[in-house]
Amino acid sequence: MPRVLLLFARTSYRAEAFLEAARRLGVDVTVGSNHRQALADFAPGATLTLGFRDVARSSATIVRFAADYPLAAIVAAGDDFTPLAAAASEALDLTHHPSQAVRCARNKALMRERLSEAGFSSPWFRTTRLDEEPAAVASKIEFPCVLKPLALSASRGVIRADTPEQFVRAWQRIRGILEQDDVVGRIGQLASELLIEAYLPGREVALEGIVSAGELRTLAVLDKPDLMDGPFFEETILVTPSRFPEQVQEDIVSMVSRCAAHLGLSDGPIHAELRVDADRISLLEIAPRSIGGRCSRILRFEPDKSLEELILRHSLGMPHDDFLREPGAAGVMMLPIPAAGVLREVVGLEAALEVPGIEGLEITIPLGHTVVPLPEGNRYLGFLFARAETPDHVENVLRAAHARIKVCIEEA
Amino acid sequence: MSATTQSPIKFTDLARDAVLRFADMGGDSSPAVRIQVSSPSPLDPRYEITLIDDQEKCEEDLVFGQQGFEVVMDPESAKLLDGASVDWVESLQQSGFKVENPNLAPIGSKPLEGPLADRVRQVIEQYVNPGVAQHGGHVTLVEVRDKIVYLQMGGGCQGCGMASVTLSQGIERILKEQVPEIVGIEDVTNHSAGDSPYFTSEK
Repeated sequence: MPRVLLLFARTSYRAEAFLEAARRLGVDVTVGSNHRQALADFAPGATLTLGFRDVARSSATIVRFAADYPLAAIVAAGDDFTPLAAAASEALDLTHHPSQAVRCARNKALMRERLSEAGFSSPWFRTTRLDEEPAAVASKIEFPCVLKPLALSASRGVIRADTPEQFVRAWQRIRGILEQDDVVGRIGQLASELLIEAYLPGREVALEGIVSAGELRTLAVLDKPDLMDGPFFEETILVTPSRFPEQVQEDIVSMVSRCAAHLGLSDGPIHAELRVDADRISLLEIAPRSIGGRCSRILRFEPDKSLEELILRHSLGMPHDDFLREPGAAGVMMLPIPAAGVLREVVGLEAALEVPGIEGLEITIPLGHTVVPLPEGNRYLGFLFARAETPDHVENVLRAAHARIKVCIEEA
Repeated sequence: MSATTQSPIKFTDLARDAVLRFADMGGDSSPAVRIQVSSPSPLDPRYEITLIDDQEKCEEDLVFGQQGFEVVMDPESAKLLDGASVDWVESLQQSGFKVENPNLAPIGSKPLEGPLADRVRQVIEQYVNPGVAQHGGHVTLVEVRDKIVYLQMGGGCQGCGMASVTLSQGIERILKEQVPEIVGIEDVTNHSAGDSPYFTSEK
């Protein structure tokens, strides 16, 4: 039976979905994580403790492990472990995006440079060190602009500035985020720089796909119907199929495919985010991983396959091309955190679940825990899932259910 | 459609009165009630009880007389409901039909006894709980049914982002090694109610 090494950060939302997919495929699993598992002593080969910062060292650990427990694939569930999955896969000659491509896609500034050099339509951008004087930087750029950390996900630390004053305030907030120990621990040197780029108007859209031997297979194009014009860029609703005209969707797929190819993302999942303004399409980023949080739950493929199962099938060299997304529309709402404080109560959950079309609701922060909204926040309050005939209906269902939920947060 | 008089399911007087009351409200003089097992999972068995018209009966349905109304079941539900009883319960919060079904007794409703349960409990106490206690967690055996072990996680394990890893990569492997006749492990924990998970998920 082939063995797959699944790499999860200890705070991953994705462990359960990937483990279930592996179980359904009947493959042996080793879980690699940045924390020693509580029962590791009693289950040799079942888990592996790995750091994600020292890629060379952890990759060597995986290679040694593979001598005793041969690996058929290495799959990382999120951003943190993707460089390690790529490096170890290279060392063991397993199917994965190359390390160089992962390094490039993970660093938003490097990705902009590579795509801009190749002539892809890009907003103006520049990279600055956080120890520069923000007012001086602000005097040299155009507004409106967006300030972004180089390697955080889910819009954490992404702020729009329309004036030099807003720019300086945004800079200071982002510096506060990037100086946090957990952030430095996760992204290392990348925490010392900022990407500044032109604000791109338009609607946001995401593309989920798997690249196989350099060929992109689009699994879903997902609309983000909420207007995301700043100052923060909280992701809320994702709905598929997209309601953009067919030609626009084809152009989206074409752009993502060409960008992935240029970056060298050749074998593995990708998650791309784009902006569409009239007929102009701009790539915001392309990550060498699948969709984050619990959002993958809305993507099901016939017959009865999850996104995680397709990803594992691809990495194991099993057929994965024939599974089509289930008919109908599906959507997820990442429940926004409305204020900072202590989460005391979430009411209306049963009422939300009673909205026809809602098929699931998960609150992922326990009561009594501190909640922090964007741009500093790094957790989702929870997820609402819906399925219906049309994307419009899904969006309405999600909004109706969300309106029934009341979140009580006590100011800290 | 086949009709017999011997129903595999019993209605209490209160349940029968409720059915007739609802039928009367709908002006139905010869009512029929469909009972269906909508989820046979022992974790959360669910039933649907609805008044139906004649045209809603299917060819394969089994139909039983029941003191004033017909009871209609699909063959699979009839099998699963053999020996069950339907009651009508009312409280301040809610009212409705309640099905007592010995074939689908919810997990945890049977006494925890027998040599297999004892061995599983011993493994949990000897290996699992000392391990998960390092993370402030604990694991309780809820039931062993059909060689499937049903467990509940508490403390740091309840709501922990890595609970599924602990279950599949730790507990399941230990239990299957120590008690080889076990065929599956099911986690019946309400993880959303965990208030002190060891790891919480982050973006």
